[in-house]
Amino acid sequence: MVLSRRWLFVASMAAATVLISAVPPARAGGVNFGEDSDNNDGPSYFGFVRDADGSPVSGARVTAAPQAGGSLVTRSNSMGIYKIPGFAKEIDPKTVDISCAKDGYGQANVVRRGQADLKDPVEVDCTLQKQ
Amino acid sequence: MLTGSVTSAAEGAMEGVLVTAQRDDSPISTTVVSDASGRFRFPDGRLRSGHYRLRIRATGYELDGPQVVDLGTSTTNVAIKLRQTSDLAAQLTNAEWFMSMPGTAEQKRPLIECMSCHTFERIVRSTYDADTFVPLLKRMAQYANNTTQARVQSRVAARDVNDDSVRKLAAYLATVNLSRAPTGSPTTHSPTWNYKLQTLPRPKGRATRVVITEYDMPEKTIAPHDVRIVRDGQNGDGYVWYSDFVENFLGRLEPESGAIVEYPIPVSKPAFPTGTLDLEADADGNLWLALMFQTGLARFDTKSKTFKIFPLPADLNDDAMQQSMVMPGSANVDGKVWTNDVVRQSIMRLDLKTGSYERIDPFAFLGKGHIHAPYGMAADKANNLYFMDFGGEAVGRVDAKTGETTLFPTPTEKSRPRRTMLDDEGRLWFTEFAADKLAMFDIKAETFKEWDVPTPHTYPYDVFRDKNGELWSGGMASDRVLRFDPQSGKGIEYLLPRPTNIRRVFVDNSTNPVTFWAGNNHGAEILRLEPLD
Repeated sequence: MVLSRRWLFVASMAAATVLISAVPPARAGGVNFGEDSDNNDGPSYFGFVRDADGSPVSGARVTAAPQAGGSLVTRSNSMGIYKIPGFAKEIDPKTVDISCAKDGYGQANVVRRGQADLKDPVEVDCTLQKQ
Repeated sequence: MLTGSVTSAAEGAMEGVLVTAQRDDSPISTTVVSDASGRFRFPDGRLRSGHYRLRIRATGYELDGPQVVDLGTSTTNVAIKLRQTSDLAAQLTNAEWFMSMPGTAEQKRPLIECMSCHTFERIVRSTYDADTFVPLLKRMAQYANNTTQARVQSRVAARDVNDDSVRKLAAYLATVNLSRAPTGSPTTHSPTWNYKLQTLPRPKGRATRVVITEYDMPEKTIAPHDVRIVRDGQNGDGYVWYSDFVENFLGRLEPESGAIVEYPIPVSKPAFPTGTLDLEADADGNLWLALMFQTGLARFDTKSKTFKIFPLPADLNDDAMQQSMVMPGSANVDGKVWTNDVVRQSIMRLDLKTGSYERIDPFAFLGKGHIHAPYGMAADKANNLYFMDFGGEAVGRVDAKTGETTLFPTPTEKSRPRRTMLDDEGRLWFTEFAADKLAMFDIKAETFKEWDVPTPHTYPYDVFRDKNGELWSGGMASDRVLRFDPQSGKGIEYLLPRPTNIRRVFVDNSTNPVTFWAGNNHGAEILRLEPLD
């Protein structure tokens, strides 16, 4: 029973191989032998999350949301620092909304620092108000 | 019943030697491991009367004798003698080759692509120089993912290969093989490499308290990839079901007899590679398969034993199309099944009512030039999707209602998250394949935890959290099953009897202790591992 199923299958494959050359090849996908290019990346984002006294706030949820849709979400570390790898270079950093949140806190202020060069990481700092 | 001892001239009584017995006419092998005093004992009732062949696994050694044993109704005691092997290289796992080969992490990294299909033994025994390796690597890059040594399948749509990367890899490989070794030849049993062969330690203590059962497939070409038991109120037949990575069959194993039944999946693109990868169950106990290069999804009714195919529309069904994953777990909520498009690195969603597919690109806002690959999938109770970016370093979420995507980068960069499971407490357990880590993502708190696996170069593929909170994992490189306690951060590793390329792992929580299952897609077998404590 099992054997007959397998033989039918093998026979159909043998017949099929004749067709391969008739199918025009399409190009698709790279081989992951380690190539990874950041040529098309926009700047990355980083910043400090602090409370009203200037003390670091760890574990705050930091969201970076381009206007075009989608978002990247990360958390601030023990020093209140967060890092976000960044988006495609077509996405203007000015259109990326950065927001911070943590239970027990309200978002008081978001400050975007200037970039000396458009390729430099964008610094956006958050102040959270304890509630 | 069979008991005995293992000794060698070099070590005397030996702990951690795997002793395997297989009856001549049976597809089932049973393995136990010698304890600290060199004693082993097969569990009562496991070995019926008959003529058995014996095998051992202990790196550095081979079986001197006895090679066979006749078992009757009373207890048989055998004194197994080992001798040192003259061909250590034949026994090394890929993890041990990674440890042994000189070179930087950067130079070795591309080799994790090679081990999808074969061990490094064939690389290191070769005498090719860099120029000879280049066309060889380019040829292999055109093989389908679902290729094994027993059955090579070529892609129809050619893949782009970066010439620079290939030349770099070729140059490196020519430094670790026998192309410039001072002595020896690959045809003798003692070729010499210009570096020392490093080995991992044998199992000790608790890692010896285990019984391993291997089920040989009736054909060498059968490549069990995902293995799972369907056993619950909805559809409990207790059979072990598996996807076959290279042939278009869904398979079923009957664990008592080792009997296999294969259900042929219709072949819709005869000129294209066959075989499937992900095997998932829906809420009604139907099994789902993503049809890889055959494209589309298949639903198998385990009662009527019939397939329903959900084909792709012609405009999506081009020569490059490949679908590896399917997630029907919460399709009963909104009538939608998640899947992926490997080539265009996007998520797709099937509407069961209309049979139409929609595409969601979760990486649309990221810079082109990085490799992304939606891979392991899980769905929560509202059918929101959680997926692993196997190309990169994020866990992704797609909202079932809005289609909105959120990416959560893992704490470790370039971690390449692979397969995942969602537990009842809303935690995703997953592996970070390239980072050699097990990881957890709490979907409510949106926080990560990561744990290093004990053995570097394990490359864990999948993880399963059992009813006791322990994690079970395994990888393509080390031939070891990892049992890990995330509370203490400690794990034990069970060595497997044969070279095993572990992919999807499954734990049967209905036994005490739990039972671990996995396929060996390179070795045409299904593995059952029963810890004794």
